[in-house]
Formats: sequence, structure tokens, C-alpha cells
Amino acid sequence: MKQATQGGETHGFLGEEFLTWIWFRWESDGGEFTLSGGRVVGVALDDFLAFAAPSEDETEQTLRRGLPTRTVQARTALRQGHRLKRARLLIAEGARQWSATLDAPSFALSGVKLPEDAEDCESEEDRTADRTANWLQLHEIVQALYARFLKERLRPDYLKTVGEEHARWMAS
Amino acid sequence: MAAIRRSGGVVAFHWQGKLRDPRDEAFAKTLEQQRFRTIEKAASEEVSVGWVTPRDPTGDSFAWEDLDGGTGTWLRFRIDKKVLPKKWLQIHRDAAEKARGKKLSARERRELKDDLTEKLLPRVLPTINLVDALLFYEQKLVLLFATSKGAREAFGKLFFETFTVPLERLNPLLCGLLAGLSADEKHDLERAEPVRWPDHTAGGRPPRIRPQQNEAAEQQEAEA
Repeated sequence: MKQATQGGETHGFLGEEFLTWIWFRWESDGGEFTLSGGRVVGVALDDFLAFAAPSEDETEQTLRRGLPTRTVQARTALRQGHRLKRARLLIAEGARQWSATLDAPSFALSGVKLPEDAEDCESEEDRTADRTANWLQLHEIVQALYARFLKERLRPDYLKTVGEEHARWMAS
Repeated sequence: MAAIRRSGGVVAFHWQGKLRDPRDEAFAKTLEQQRFRTIEKAASEEVSVGWVTPRDPTGDSFAWEDLDGGTGTWLRFRIDKKVLPKKWLQIHRDAAEKARGKKLSARERRELKDDLTEKLLPRVLPTINLVDALLFYEQKLVLLFATSKGAREAFGKLFFETFTVPLERLNPLLCGLLAGLSADEKHDLERAEPVRWPDHTAGGRPPRIRPQQNEAAEQQEAEA
């Protein structure tokens, strides 16, 4: 059976492992991450999950609305060893909050909602500058989280340490 | 001029090499060389892609301050497409066939289409698509506010024609290579294989994980 690893040449599977790792870290450690430079962000999964099909001829499973991470279907998919392909994320840093759907194999973001405009924005130019900064911040946070994931994933003892914890969490 | 959007989808690109600094007025001049050119009166089916500014959608002016997005540079390009409406063609073909009392040959259909194209296209207005992007010079990063393949390809082509620098779409491998990893980590990243998590719903085996590559190698060994 051929594994469905979309974007094999671009390591799309690592994007899927990353998204699944966020879920694992959120449930295991509360979803608070201290990133490089000391910035602290909170990440949670919201109301949309799509699991990667285990092979090219199998169905992709999508769960929407409510709390899909708590559903029996989601737990079963994890127990079957499925990775997340897309998920809606809530990301918070201080008082600012972003929401976006991450397509893991391509790293494209859709349905992004930036934080509310800063109160001191008085003109359209101010608003543009504020939003531009927020777009960049969102990109940098996702990249920093991914770098954090890679540091764990690329450890020589990954499969015996974090990978083992991850496997137990998926089986739970 | 309205502010840049607060919501939507983005695709990220990275470039290698040297780009003119957007704070330099010459940057706007470079955009101007690939400015949008109208096809409003064109008499053939065509597509026009070129830079405009958020303040002026015509492509006639490129004031440096119109591109100022604070920490980034606000780029906008315009895609106009002019296509002969298929229904018009069908109506004229049906009328010609009815008058003749028989179907048109392939050659006659082609001639009818050419004739209609010449007559009708100058009267057809092009469809207009304005697409935004944010360029972050220090980060060598562009966020394109469009996820469709057509818009991505048009943007990549226009960017290259303008700056002679190719854009690379970010993906898990490229992001990893740009993430400040050590040389060993980059080496391992390039050779990474998917982890195959076990299925715990099929027989209750104890949790075991292994990379797919190892499993394939073991299978080959067993077969040998």
C-alpha cells in the first residue's frame, strides 16, 4: 500500500508531523511555547481538523465545528496512527490573538484572522502598518514553532524519547 | 486608500540573491518598468499582468509612499483577462446553421469564430483581478494574498521579470533549511523519512514506532 505523502520532495510529511506535534504539546503541556528571543505564545487547536489519508486511495477525514479534538472520531484517527493534514489554530501572544487554518504539507495559511487593530491607529496608513506587522508576526510565530519542533524531531534519540511519548499520547 | 486586509489566505515565498531595497526610490521605478498595461480595447483574447499600486489601480503612477506598509512593502498586481463569451459564439453558430439548414463544417466554424472575435472582442470588457502581497526585505520574505495556482504562477513570473530574482515557495523542507539548524541537523532534515505511527485499533499491539525507511529495509531483508 502506497503511503499518501503529499509533497514528498518538499517534506510535506514533516508539516503533518508538526501539526500533530502541536496537538500533542497542547494536550501534554498546555500549549504554551517559549520561542527564541524569549517570546511566549499560546497555541490551541480550534474547530477544524483534517486527517491525512493513510494512502492515496483512502478517504481523508474532516471534522468541523464544536470541539473536534475531543471527539471519538479524532481519538480513533490518532490511535490508528493518522497525522493531521490541516487544522485551524488559535495563536495568542500577550493580548493579541490570531486564528488561521494551516495546510501542513504546503504551509499555506487560509482563513486567517489577525488581531483587532491597535487602539492608537488613527488613519488607514496606521492600520496598514499595524496589520502588516501582524501578518509578519503570524508568519514568524509559525516558523519559530516549526523550528522548535524540528529541534526535537531531528534529535538522534527522537524515536526513543519524544517520539515514544508522542506515540503513547496517540495511543491513549 | 483603504488599509491592507486583516483576513484571508496567504502563501509565503522566499528569495535568494539581491533585491533592490524598497526604501530606495529606484525600487518603485523598477516596478514601473513592469507596470500594468490595459487591454480594454484589444481585439484578441489575451491576458495582461503588471504592477499597480494600492492607491492607483491603473498602473499609471508609482509613488514610493503608496507602497509603504510600515515594516513591509505593500505590492499589488493586476491581472486582466479578455475572453470571447462562449454563449455568444454558440448563439451565432446556431443562427448560421439554422439559416443554412445544415451543420457548419470545422473550417466554417473556425471562420465564424475568427470573424466574431474581430467584431465582438473590442466591445468585451476584461475581467479584473487585483492581488496584494507584502514584501519583507530584511527577511527575504513575500506573503502573497492569493492561494490559487494561477495567481501564484502569475506573481512568480512577474516578480522574476521585474527583479530577475526567482521566488521559491516555502514548504516544510525549505522552512527547515532556513530555520537556523546546525549543519548536522540540516543533513538529517534532508534525509528525514516519515514516522509511521502504529495502528492501536488493530490487535492491541504494544506501541512501537519506527521510520518508514527502516521498515522498508527490513521488509527487503526479509524478502531476500
